[in-house]
Amino acid sequence: MGDMAELLASALRMSMPVLITALGAIYSERSGVTNIGLEGMMLTGAFWAAYGSLHYGPMGGVFMAILMAVLMALLHGVVTITYRVDQIVSGMAINILAYGLTRFFSIELFGMATTSPHVDGLSKISIPLLKDVEWLQPLTKDISPIIIVGILLVFFTYWVLERTTFGLRLKAVGENPLAADTLGIKVLHYRYYGVLISGAFAGLAGAYLALEHTGMYVEGMTQGKGYIALAAMIFGNWNPFGALGAACLFGFAESLSLRVMQNKFIPYQFIKMLPYLLTIFVLAGVVRKAHPPASVGIPYAREEH
Amino acid sequence: MMEKMLELKNITKRFPGLVANDSVSLDGVAGEVHAVVGENGAGKSTLMNIITGLYHQDEGEVWSRGEKLEFSGPRDAILKGIGMVHQHFMLVNRFTVVQNIILGYEGTKSGVIDFEQARNKVEELCRLYDFKLDLDKPVGELSVGHQQRVEILKVLYRGADILILDEPTAVLTPQEVEELFTNLEKLKTQGKLILFISHKLHEVLRISDRITVLRRGKVVGTVVAGETNKKRLAEMMVGRPVLFRLEKPECEVQEPVLEVRNVTIKTGEDRQSLNNLSLTLRRGEIYGIAGVEGNGQRELVEAVMGLTAYHEGSILIKGQETKGKCVRDVRKIGVGYIPEDRHHRAVVLPMTVWENAVLGMEGDVDYGSWWKLNIEGIKEFTKRKIAEFDIRLGTIDSAIRNLSGGNQQKVVLARELSTDPDVIIAAQPVRGLDIGAIEFVHKQLINARSNGKGVLMISADLEEVLSVSDRVGIMYNGEIVKEFVPGELEVEEIGHYMLGASQKVGEASHD
Amino acid sequence: MTKKTKIMLLQIVSPIIAVLFAVIVSSVLIVVIGKNPLEVYQIMLEFSFGRVDSIAAILFNATPLIFSGLSVAIGFRLGLFNIGAEGQYFMGALCAAYVGFSFGNLPMIIHLPLAIIAAMVGGALWALIPIYLKLKRGVHEVISTIMLNYVAYSLINYLISDVFMDNNQHIPEGTGSPIIRTPKLLASVLMPKLNDFLSLFGIDLPSYAYVNWFFVLALVLAAGIYYLVARTPFGFRMRAVGSSPGAAEASGINPQGVYLRGFLLSGAIAGLIGLSHLLCFYGYMDLDFPKSLGFNGIAVALMGNNNPFGIVVSALLFGFLSRGAEGIQTFLGIPMEVVVIMQGTIILSVVVAASILGRYIRIWEKKEA
Repeated sequence: MGDMAELLASALRMSMPVLITALGAIYSERSGVTNIGLEGMMLTGAFWAAYGSLHYGPMGGVFMAILMAVLMALLHGVVTITYRVDQIVSGMAINILAYGLTRFFSIELFGMATTSPHVDGLSKISIPLLKDVEWLQPLTKDISPIIIVGILLVFFTYWVLERTTFGLRLKAVGENPLAADTLGIKVLHYRYYGVLISGAFAGLAGAYLALEHTGMYVEGMTQGKGYIALAAMIFGNWNPFGALGAACLFGFAESLSLRVMQNKFIPYQFIKMLPYLLTIFVLAGVVRKAHPPASVGIPYAREEH
Repeated sequence: MMEKMLELKNITKRFPGLVANDSVSLDGVAGEVHAVVGENGAGKSTLMNIITGLYHQDEGEVWSRGEKLEFSGPRDAILKGIGMVHQHFMLVNRFTVVQNIILGYEGTKSGVIDFEQARNKVEELCRLYDFKLDLDKPVGELSVGHQQRVEILKVLYRGADILILDEPTAVLTPQEVEELFTNLEKLKTQGKLILFISHKLHEVLRISDRITVLRRGKVVGTVVAGETNKKRLAEMMVGRPVLFRLEKPECEVQEPVLEVRNVTIKTGEDRQSLNNLSLTLRRGEIYGIAGVEGNGQRELVEAVMGLTAYHEGSILIKGQETKGKCVRDVRKIGVGYIPEDRHHRAVVLPMTVWENAVLGMEGDVDYGSWWKLNIEGIKEFTKRKIAEFDIRLGTIDSAIRNLSGGNQQKVVLARELSTDPDVIIAAQPVRGLDIGAIEFVHKQLINARSNGKGVLMISADLEEVLSVSDRVGIMYNGEIVKEFVPGELEVEEIGHYMLGASQKVGEASHD
Repeated sequence: MTKKTKIMLLQIVSPIIAVLFAVIVSSVLIVVIGKNPLEVYQIMLEFSFGRVDSIAAILFNATPLIFSGLSVAIGFRLGLFNIGAEGQYFMGALCAAYVGFSFGNLPMIIHLPLAIIAAMVGGALWALIPIYLKLKRGVHEVISTIMLNYVAYSLINYLISDVFMDNNQHIPEGTGSPIIRTPKLLASVLMPKLNDFLSLFGIDLPSYAYVNWFFVLALVLAAGIYYLVARTPFGFRMRAVGSSPGAAEASGINPQGVYLRGFLLSGAIAGLIGLSHLLCFYGYMDLDFPKSLGFNGIAVALMGNNNPFGIVVSALLFGFLSRGAEGIQTFLGIPMEVVVIMQGTIILSVVVAASILGRYIRIWEKKEA
């Protein structure tokens, strides 16, 4: 039983970065903006979380991570929403920029391109009552607060999208922006909100990665999780609970693969490949079910009709 | 003295390369249906977009009930009681009826939507105006007539007193048109002003009180409906006398050139299947397909052209079975295709005129070998066609998206007819074109048919179908429910078939 | 001057303005870390143009970028994103390396072209997976190609460390452990440098310059691609499908076939990216084989507006930037990453400028017609 809980806890920990980023991606995509740059935003978040934690403590790190990632998202937004540049191109450019900027500042601020010193994570918390149940302890005792935040965000996102004015308009803007425009909804504004929120979430995910998961910043530590988050969002049908399920699947696979890494039969390089191969299989299996927002990827301009 | 609910004073709006509205003035009073008519491109849509705040005028003023109106966006117009029911519905297909109606007007203070309250309000409105609607269905699954009701409800929900209806009857069956007119009469008695944009002159004459005619951005005149007739209106619209009868020489019908036999296609939930459909097109005839859009017309065309595969039934072109054939092979048998969606199916917008003129034929002997395009030869060909089809453009090297809709369609026609096909599939061939281009296209189709070709024409415009075709098939729910020769059936009967009623005339339509 | 000339001029000027903007942004960054931007650019220019070995280095740097830019550009023309050039060139390089160390007794005239073909096949095969998945299962090629890049890294790592590891390395006593690398490639497969050829014209390159005939091959390929896209029916179809798959399909063109062939071509060209390094500089493939040459192709393609001539120019520009970066790192202690940042900024400014320019051009053209 305890092993089960341990496995679940490990899977949950592994899935957090993908989950949080995927949730953020939902806001962006449902408003009509594809954000391939989430990988770079997450990396940016990881870096600045480490820097911030070193100088201002872990909460300062989280704050800086979100701030810097939002700035990257703002750049992506300006380029794709105001200047209507192709969203994939902009996203890739953001990733390249993020890669260069983190290395650059890493050398300047940490003295090395590849890692930061060890930094403090947030103080662990325990769920009251449940923490004393022994077999649940891996899941309930001394866990990172961000894990709780992550799970809450799933419900929060559902509530926002289904029950609030903001959510209704955000979705409308991604499905039929012209219709929303004729109803007096500011299409471009809502798209900016969507992109900025996705950046904030990616920054938080990066902070989790650096502060809670690894304990420091390592060059390229996101390892493609930003893209996997997009796959999780697609697999989850642009729906927060679906994203939760998909992220857990990935987290589970990664957690499992780490355990298997030490064996003698399969070379470790193949185990490393697993998350990426899994992503491809998952996407290949999804095809007809998928209901992407009707206007995603298409820049909006009023007078062009 | 009735206060003017709406008054436009010298509205002017310019776009690069044209003046869409040139000093347009008109007015409307409460309890009136005021029609605005004009050809495609006369400036009707632009004018309406200005009234509803989507565009801003370059010159002129908009007044309502003694107050000058300044709009910074659609929201302002809505607040002033102006509501637009668009020709192409502005609906979010995935949202329910209620969600579509309250979008942008959710009426919440805290940001949380009270769906129950909203639903009650909508139900109330439906009762008041006698609209029957399934409120919880996704709008994408409703019939076109019902979708239009949702659009009207949107506008009423926001307390509109001025309703603008843009080509409302374009997609309705005759019965649905009657229902709409009944609703409009009711709205009139409530003191609303209704601006009715249409090019369907007989409907306009029936329902309107006054009619304003636009031509090339200018107002030609405003007349009282009872004091004018169709001929005069058409002349005002076009600026010259207009023939309403098409010149159709007698033509002998020969052997079948396209046979569709019992074709059935089942597709997903949102696409109409073909249901054991059969029809025969002969050389020397124009077979028109009438019917409300969405009854399988598109699927039929795609099956014939080889764009969609079919497994049940057979399609024979010039006696050859097309099952399993790709588009290229179908075309090789001798088919020309004028697609419904010009911008996404007929032309490649960013490519040049000469490139579009040979789209699909670039590998043919005259235009290139596998390792080299015969660009000179292609340009020669294009120049000849420009002259032959009287296409207006700057140079053949400019992108085809810079040409007007009519000229683009002429390029498409030139290309498709150049291979001398025996079967011509024309889907909504004159949609969005001005009267001159419409006449041209119809003439080309009639010419082809008089030269012994077979023309299959699909159109949502019943008038067009009845005037151009030699024979008509009404399509409903994926099959041909009735075939007749124009003149044989009354419009009412045709409407019944379009709605799927059986042969019994006078049977009530489904709702 | 005519409107057409004006438009063409603007299309050349706008990327230049974009680059200048990127330079300004980088200058800000340089100031932030306390150095003088003018000094930086002076060193960069002196270092890059003032020495013959630098010019050679620029050409050497540009060579893989030309292949990379062409590969990505073909994808863009088709309306597809081949971000997988990274993985494709790794696979291609390994295939070429395999041919290089496996077949003895082949004259260069056969061995070298064989290796080149092997690289193209390797790259094309690695591109086959994502395009097949896209055509048959609707998988978006951006995500699948990026995933495959990671898979390729791992796979190559394994193949070099375990399968093809050269265990016969001759290491003098006590000087260290064997390098993790493939066996050395035979001389018959190595690409000659341009040194001998250029010395015929009186240009003497130092022996540590590695610019080689792959540079010439890249230029020839660029010309060939230009011809293919602009002057052949296949190129016509590529452009039609890239701009409007619906219209192409209705006219009888088979979009799926065009996508497949075009993407495989893109992959085949990507396979060539690493050959200049492999067959001339290194002579074997190890775990330090240069990465990110595939990504750099994206910047090169965008800056060159997907036009082969523009791509060559952009590749030279980026070659100049990397060379200059070496200079400023050596002489001024500024991290080379400034160049990566410039790259990202260049991409963004170029596409924004192109978008704005495109809008104006459309407005002018509409006025004309």
